[in-house]
Amino acid sequence: MPNSLAANANIALYASMIVYTLAMLAFTWHLAARAPKVADSKVLAESTVAERELVGAGAAAGAPAPAERRPATPYAAGPAFEESLRSRQRGSIALMLTYLATALLVASVVMRGVAVSRPPWGNMFEFATAAAAAVGVAYSVLARRNRWEWLGVFIVTPILLVLGLSLTVLYTEAGELMPALKSYWLGIHVSVAFLAVAFFTLAFAVGVLYLVRLRREDKPPAKPGVLESLPSAAALERTAYSLNMVGFILWTFTLIAGAIWAKQAWGAYWQWDPKEVWTFVIWTVYAAYMHGRATAGVDPRRSMYIALAGYVAVIINFTLVNLVSTFVGMHNYSGMS
Amino acid sequence: MTTDTPVKPRKGKGRAKDQRPEPALPDLGPLELLRWGWRQLTSMRTALFLLLLLSIAAVPGSIFPQRNIDAGRVADYIAQNPTTSPWLDRLGFFDVYASVWFSAIYLLLFISLVGCIVPRTKVHVAALRARPPKAPARLHRLDEHAELTTSLSPDEALAVARAALKRKRFRLHSHDGVSLSGESGYLRETGNLLFHLALTGIIIGMAVGHVFGWRGDIILAEGDKFASSAGTYNTISPGPWVDTESLPPFVLSLDKLHVEFNETPGRGFGQPRLFDAQTRLQRDPGSPASEETVSVNHPIAVDGADIFLLGNGYTPVVTVRDAKGTVLYREATPFLPQDGNYRSLGVIKVPSASPKQLGFTGFFLPTAEPTFANGPASIFPDAKNPELALSVWEGNLFPGGAPQSVYTLNTDEMKQVTKADGSPALVRLKPGQTYQLPGDRGSITFDNVKRFAGLSVRTDPGAPISLVSAILATLGLILGLTIKRRRVFVRVRPAADPTATDGGAGGRTGSPATVVTIGGLSKDSDPGLAAIVTAIVTAFHTTIDTATATAEPDRPAERTES
Repeated sequence: MPNSLAANANIALYASMIVYTLAMLAFTWHLAARAPKVADSKVLAESTVAERELVGAGAAAGAPAPAERRPATPYAAGPAFEESLRSRQRGSIALMLTYLATALLVASVVMRGVAVSRPPWGNMFEFATAAAAAVGVAYSVLARRNRWEWLGVFIVTPILLVLGLSLTVLYTEAGELMPALKSYWLGIHVSVAFLAVAFFTLAFAVGVLYLVRLRREDKPPAKPGVLESLPSAAALERTAYSLNMVGFILWTFTLIAGAIWAKQAWGAYWQWDPKEVWTFVIWTVYAAYMHGRATAGVDPRRSMYIALAGYVAVIINFTLVNLVSTFVGMHNYSGMS
Repeated sequence: MTTDTPVKPRKGKGRAKDQRPEPALPDLGPLELLRWGWRQLTSMRTALFLLLLLSIAAVPGSIFPQRNIDAGRVADYIAQNPTTSPWLDRLGFFDVYASVWFSAIYLLLFISLVGCIVPRTKVHVAALRARPPKAPARLHRLDEHAELTTSLSPDEALAVARAALKRKRFRLHSHDGVSLSGESGYLRETGNLLFHLALTGIIIGMAVGHVFGWRGDIILAEGDKFASSAGTYNTISPGPWVDTESLPPFVLSLDKLHVEFNETPGRGFGQPRLFDAQTRLQRDPGSPASEETVSVNHPIAVDGADIFLLGNGYTPVVTVRDAKGTVLYREATPFLPQDGNYRSLGVIKVPSASPKQLGFTGFFLPTAEPTFANGPASIFPDAKNPELALSVWEGNLFPGGAPQSVYTLNTDEMKQVTKADGSPALVRLKPGQTYQLPGDRGSITFDNVKRFAGLSVRTDPGAPISLVSAILATLGLILGLTIKRRRVFVRVRPAADPTATDGGAGGRTGSPATVVTIGGLSKDSDPGLAAIVTAIVTAFHTTIDTATATAEPDRPAERTES
């Protein structure tokens, strides 16, 4: 039996958790160095104020919609914000650790897949691990190019949480699939689903930071802190939109692939099974977000709240709908019973 | 949630041709009111609101049991919550997706959608034919802009810009001799419209499936044969326009149902591992039989219908005899599984028993937990230690002659059979065992047990329409979200001060110098726009005659970000 491989998969999983923990600490350490020094902070505050006035003037002259509010530079901190060497070094270390941890996690998922000779996402434990790996990969691929070191701690911490929970609460021994899952659609439908979740997760983290950053821009603190070293609220909002957009397209595909599979497995492509209902709810909420984002005159802050609500629905879809008996349907594959 | 903003309703972009500030409202006549209502309904804000409403309205259907999925669970829920459930029922909470309020939301949404895409399509078709608009007066006020001075003549400068934009696949037009207008990304709106149009296609496919599709369910025991016709299905639900006389006349017999469960102790113990139905299929009664395997995820196709294996369970073969030993009943009776370990509920009705009709109701347990400490229970889904546990009733099986389910016993006009000591008679039988009913009522024998397959025959002629629409919708969504609609304008004018070029590049001194202004505009946040403006500037730089180009693209920081 390939049980030794499954055991190695678990060892890799533990190892990746250790490295992720180090990465989390390194990202925090990086954020500590990111905060502008007191000497710089005065310049920084002034430039921020000047820019706010500029923006205000532009808004008065042009359309009154807050959507139009775009600072002239993506970093509201302006050219005055120079990342210190120390901060850059720590950011690099944290990124390297994240790459290593993600590689270990991917190795763990692959070994599990080989051990069970099927796509390694047949129950909740496997799905959670694979989704966490997808988040890790998506972040790792995008982080260096976009200089997202500031985002690291907000991504690595949830990954750690999910891995911890899946090992303690959701753990299921490597085993064969239920007949309903024995289909190549498992590879397509489910993997696209957790890729979508990965993008929604990144977008959620950026979205929350956007709201915090926006509040700080509305009420600038006397002394700029870490938040002022982040990209401007407008830039964060655009980033979150791009991520949500990719997530939304992938989720649309998930929905359609799921319907095709349902037709093959259950004879009808749509039966309002609780999982289908929640997949649909998530889709409509993110569709509402896309509409809000495209409508002139809808405050982007409100649109972002809708996107965050969509992410809450994603979480409900994965936790409550799988585990609580109220939502009895045909997607009973958690492996928890 | 989002409509209570004080901001005046404004139309979304694309639909906003007639976006002017509303004047002090005059009295609205009925026609104006209607027009106003239509505008509200087809506005993007309403669409947004309806989408949110739809998502909220869909949730109760996942929380409360639904009749279309499991009518039995609805009945249980109503029995357990006698005070709240009549109200929930009246408000449609057990049929959410067929309820008035849910239908109202999605119908409004689709009216709004159609009301939005029809005018938008007109606008877009016109835009596809139209030339790019005239360059605005002040290009430096656009999102992205750059200015440079070149020693090229104005015409040569425009030609350079034209070539650069052509390479970026812009549609170009010169409204006058000194400017150039370019537009690209028409596919964005095409994709948008395709997406929304395809959504209506999905709905049409669903409607077609509802009207012309049908499904029939059969419970078929091993060794039994089924001939398809309107009357032979256990349940059949045809669409309103289905002719039930013309169902495919296939004949299907179930030879063997292979079933495996996980026997490894631990989490996942007892989970199904394999369901395979080995069948013989005659496509019509006269044709030869072919061997076919139906399994989960692998339906077989017959005459436009698909046969799915959706369930399975046990059919104990039971014989009931009267006191003289005459056989009154001998049948493989399906018992329906109630839980993962196949504790199965069933009923045996013996109308020919006399003087009173007999009815048995109770459980079949594939692997009985022997003590019955917590009532009859099964501890494993496979038939490792099968047992029947039944209670016995006598009286009138069919009060009022009303039709009833074969899986329930109506005990309104029956009473439980008791033993001599007055305690209720409880039958517990292993295969081969016989129980003598008290008071000369005869006997019941549990002969053996066979498996049954729950088969479902379904057609959905609307599914291909929905599928194609869904694929088109995805395609449209990708185009509509990733392609950017961009306008780029170039204007040339002779430099006011000819000396501006003298020192530069040592070109043709004294030749006319031209100031080139480039402005770019995009409807959405668009990091790629800056790259296009830069590309035009670069095109001038690489042209040999370029003199002191004073390109000054804005926002250098943004290029490196996102």
